[in-house]
Amino acid sequence: MTPLLQISNLHASIDDREILKGINLTVNAGEIHAIMGPNGSGKSTLASVLAGREDYTVTAGSVVFQGKELLDLVPEERSREGLFLAFQYPVEIPGVSTANFVKTAVNEVRKHRGQEPLDPAAFLALMRERMALVEMDPSFLQRSLNEGFSGGEKKRNEVFQMAMLDPVLSVLDETDSGLDIDALRIVASGVNALRRSDNATIVITHYQRLLDHIVPDFVHVLWNGRIVKSGDKSLALELEQRGYDWLKQEAAVEA
Amino acid sequence: MSQHSLVELAQSRVAVHAEAAVEAADGRLGYLRREGLREFVRMGIPTTRHEEWKYTNVFPFIGQDFTYRPTHWGSVSAQNTMPASAKEIASALGQHVSVRIVDGCVIVDDSTLPSGVEIIELTPELVENDAAIAGALGSGAPMNTHPFVALNTALLESGVVLRIGKDVRVEPPIHVSIETSDSTSPTLITPRLLVIAEQGAEVDIVQSHHVFGEATVLDATVVEFVVSAMAHIRYFKIADDADAARSISSVSADVHRDATFTSHALSIGGRFVRNDLALRLCEPSSQGFLFGVSLLADHEYTDNHTVVDHMVPHCHSEELYKGIYDGSSTGVFNGKIYVRPQAQKTTAYQSNHTLLLSSKAQVQAKPQLEIWADDVKCSHGATMGQVDEEAIFYFRSRGIDKDTAKALLTYAFITEVVEKISLDGLRELLTRRIARKLSTDTLLS
Repeated sequence: MTPLLQISNLHASIDDREILKGINLTVNAGEIHAIMGPNGSGKSTLASVLAGREDYTVTAGSVVFQGKELLDLVPEERSREGLFLAFQYPVEIPGVSTANFVKTAVNEVRKHRGQEPLDPAAFLALMRERMALVEMDPSFLQRSLNEGFSGGEKKRNEVFQMAMLDPVLSVLDETDSGLDIDALRIVASGVNALRRSDNATIVITHYQRLLDHIVPDFVHVLWNGRIVKSGDKSLALELEQRGYDWLKQEAAVEA
Repeated sequence: MSQHSLVELAQSRVAVHAEAAVEAADGRLGYLRREGLREFVRMGIPTTRHEEWKYTNVFPFIGQDFTYRPTHWGSVSAQNTMPASAKEIASALGQHVSVRIVDGCVIVDDSTLPSGVEIIELTPELVENDAAIAGALGSGAPMNTHPFVALNTALLESGVVLRIGKDVRVEPPIHVSIETSDSTSPTLITPRLLVIAEQGAEVDIVQSHHVFGEATVLDATVVEFVVSAMAHIRYFKIADDADAARSISSVSADVHRDATFTSHALSIGGRFVRNDLALRLCEPSSQGFLFGVSLLADHEYTDNHTVVDHMVPHCHSEELYKGIYDGSSTGVFNGKIYVRPQAQKTTAYQSNHTLLLSSKAQVQAKPQLEIWADDVKCSHGATMGQVDEEAIFYFRSRGIDKDTAKALLTYAFITEVVEKISLDGLRELLTRRIARKLSTDTLLS
């Protein structure tokens, strides 16, 4: 089976400072991968590089996504090919309603897939159905995108957009940050409901608690720009108990 | 030809018209004409050395040999076809009262006049016999400081008086369509409107300018408003986007107790638009709301000069102007707020925000607050910038390409002001025009 995503020896820097120092990761369809690690280890950089944020320069390596070199694509093409990034800090966009934004995005993706735009009634019905997944009130559709939303509402809106765009690979960048336990449960159940055998999810998180709700098949620990340890979900529990220091020491010895 | 002789040329041409007018003049109207001429000659054509005209350079066109189209009244039978741009506005307004000024000829469709609304020809007799009109005419327009108001006043032979009776709430908006059709020679028009909303009256006035010839049209329109106690006027000024239009428009409003004046300066294009708006909050609890939208490209130009004068205590003013400038366009915003020493408990807020879409576009923004009272809440804010990169990335990460993202964000930026337009049809029209100009129309359908 061809992997969905194959990251090989990925190096990336910002302002001439190297952040990713050789990432290797393989994600197959149907899998959930968790990437954990202390602050500054490169977790969010990895998410940004995958999504195509232009602040970062890839200096070496490749990322093959469904047989295509992802790094050759501009961000909108990556999205249309089925990559989705749930932002750690979703941007507030005054003056653009959530409905218009999502409609524009979905129709761009449909156009790319050679599909006709959805008619307004079908679209509205679909939006309402997908909003229910994350217990979002339909009144949010007419509100300016993320403007004045609480932290939890913003993250639910990210998962709602994910549900609308139906990506092949979702990257959730610290989606749990700033969420109370109820919001965490809602967001996680939304993500779980979207899980299928033909898609995959990378969950980037600082804490184990999200992984109680979104149970990963693999857990990777990122430190100093490299994956220093991989394991199954028990690794997350071990990290919760022992912290990261023992891994840092192990990694230092190996280096 | 040097600049100096251009000034003399313009002055002498105006003097010929104006002196002919002066000879026949008497009474208040004659007095105003003489004063207007005197002030115009004193001030001359403003050069860019003049602080108020620093960026508004009239010299590239002012020296042309203008054919003057004096304001006069015609009958409805003389009605010729409305240009498409005016029709578009008229149809967007739905049922409305139509006042057209076509090459200076005033055409009023009386059949649409609701009761309590008078649209009257401004004549010397009217001014002599109606104390309210005599008192209001020329009292607000800044004839002593604005050369083109002085010019308009020097040439004041006729005009339009709009009077809304006490407690009359006019449902259909009044559309004042100022049209110029001469395509052979440069034309000067000097329309003059006096709008009196009597106590408790309420009205929407939409003023649009249309040039459909090729030759330059210098349009020096002056509008004066009297907003009596508890009256509410909403005024919409839509700039012409014709290449030949040179619009220098001056609006003044005296706002009385518990009354409101709301203005929208809407420039979705326009080769040369200069809007002066002077608001006097002259009795307690009066309010002024000033909104402006400038969406310019190519070599378009819009200059908004506003003055809000808080003369008495307990008045409120709010000003929000937003501009988007692409191509080699230029925008100017100059906003003055005066709070007189006695005007305690004033609240006055001004903001002016700009998006620059091109490195060749320019904007000049100058807020000026002069506050002599100490118990007031006043603020002003101005921002200038490009479309937020993080927001663009957010759009792109959802499959929306960069240009579309920029257009949508640009559209969103201006939406805040467009949403303040209370007339549904007009708001929708402006929304469509903006979307068309930003090429977002297919996205927002």
